[in-house]
Amino acid sequence: MTALLETRGVWQRFGGLVANSDVSISVGRGEIVGLIGPNGAGKSTLFNLIAGVRPPSQGSIWFDGKDVTATPASERCRAGIGRTFQVVKSFETMTVIDNVIVGALVRNTVMREARRKAFEVLEFTGLAARADVPASELIPSEKRRLEVARALATEPKLLLLDEVLTGLTPLEAQTGVELVRRVRDTGVTVLMVEHVMEIVMPLVDRAIVLDLGKVLVEGKPADVVRDPKVITAYLGDRHAVGA
Amino acid sequence: MHDVTHARRRRRDLIVAAVLVAAAACVPIFVKDVYAQNILVLTLMYAGLSQSWNILGGYCGQISLGHALYFGLGAYVTAILFTKFGVLPWFGMLTGGVISALIALALGYPTFRLGGHYFAIATIVIAEIAYLLFLNWDWAGAALGIDIMVRGDSWLKFQFVRSKLPYFYFALAFAAVAWLVTWWLENSKWGYWWRAVKDNSDAAESLGVVVFKSKMGAGAISAFLTAIGGAFYAMFVSYIDPDAVMSFQFSLLIALPAVLGGIGTLWGPVLGAAVLIPVTELTRSFIGGSGRGVDLIVYGSLIVLVSLTRPDGLLGLFSRKRKEAVR
Repeated sequence: MTALLETRGVWQRFGGLVANSDVSISVGRGEIVGLIGPNGAGKSTLFNLIAGVRPPSQGSIWFDGKDVTATPASERCRAGIGRTFQVVKSFETMTVIDNVIVGALVRNTVMREARRKAFEVLEFTGLAARADVPASELIPSEKRRLEVARALATEPKLLLLDEVLTGLTPLEAQTGVELVRRVRDTGVTVLMVEHVMEIVMPLVDRAIVLDLGKVLVEGKPADVVRDPKVITAYLGDRHAVGA
Repeated sequence: MHDVTHARRRRRDLIVAAVLVAAAACVPIFVKDVYAQNILVLTLMYAGLSQSWNILGGYCGQISLGHALYFGLGAYVTAILFTKFGVLPWFGMLTGGVISALIALALGYPTFRLGGHYFAIATIVIAEIAYLLFLNWDWAGAALGIDIMVRGDSWLKFQFVRSKLPYFYFALAFAAVAWLVTWWLENSKWGYWWRAVKDNSDAAESLGVVVFKSKMGAGAISAFLTAIGGAFYAMFVSYIDPDAVMSFQFSLLIALPAVLGGIGTLWGPVLGAAVLIPVTELTRSFIGGSGRGVDLIVYGSLIVLVSLTRPDGLLGLFSRKRKEAVR
């Protein structure tokens, strides 16, 4: 079976700055893949290219056997790519459940069904008790979960998570990790960008490390963290010596 | 359980609206004064117009300050078809609505790509251009306007000499329909898409919302309903010229009740019009003919007052009370 997501030789340039150069990665069905790397490695850029925020300068993106390089974000959502935003973008004037209904409407045209679906997702993500609260009143960790809930309501095949676990308390992060596992258990493939290695590594099946816009290393988390190149990228040359 | 409370809330809104319409329908029994009836007609008309504006400006978040264009188009199309071609105002009304909706789509194509304030500025400019065109368009009466000859009472021709009551009931129906359309849209895919676009269009796009299409839909519906109001106004005053139906003042008068009452809410425009229109009409008559502009000063002061104390509009007063009661 082909990979669910594939980027083939993707480049992204912003004027003179090359944010992604010749990035080819693939994500198989049912995997949890971590996209990691130090600040400025080009993780978010690649993430946005996959989500369809803008077309890449060069290269192509394939999803579920189709070329989606030129497909706009809303179409990609329909095709089965759900995403969250690193800086949360809740619909602040709407209630929590109404936020999720917007997502649910992609696959449910009848309002009653969309509402039911949205409530199911809220129960799944542990936000059901906050359903009727305006999104503006949620605390930060709840807003993160709302991001995930909204994306899940679109019933994606691939869920893109942009630093959903960063900046949470250890307990909140642990709840988040369990949520991601449960999402995968429902058959959704997950690609997550994370900054903090110790949270992601136990969770992911495979890690892809980006550095300076290129794929540096790719492999099992246990191998990746021991790779001298990764340690150098994260900590600088001095620390790589002992590895 | 959850969708039961939601359905109950929506049914409650519908019942309140039905009661209000029934109560309003009885008002002329007690209010016989023609001047007072005139104020009632205008209040209802602006409630309906502002409700129409609210679909685009409130729900979808695209602040238009050029709705005088659609209002004027409805008035002009109806008046021209009636006086020049003998087309009944009822058809003129629908034609005006359709033409306005089409023009809203044509104008939306370039302008909906503009963000925030730039969109608002573009709407002002476009409406102003249309105003100048009509001011110089001889066939459409230019600055002299169009006089709609009134020949006795007729529902067919929508003309009434002896009483203002038919106008009152039509204005009531117009306001009720605009409210009902909003009520229905609010719980539709479109309603959700619009609010999502307003709050965060990037997030909306990522959830499958076609932002551009949603704005176009809101613009067309809003323009259609506004033109119906304009057509009604033309028949009501039976004389129109560019100043009387297409000046910038109308753009403000259409937008302000929604802003004052509660922008992007179901009841905001109704509440805003009920407060604003009687106040302006009364100040205008108390100050007399020389007081042109005083009504707008009152408008301005009210808006400043509300935005300072209750940024979410007069409706905010109610929801705050309700919330405190729950606590």
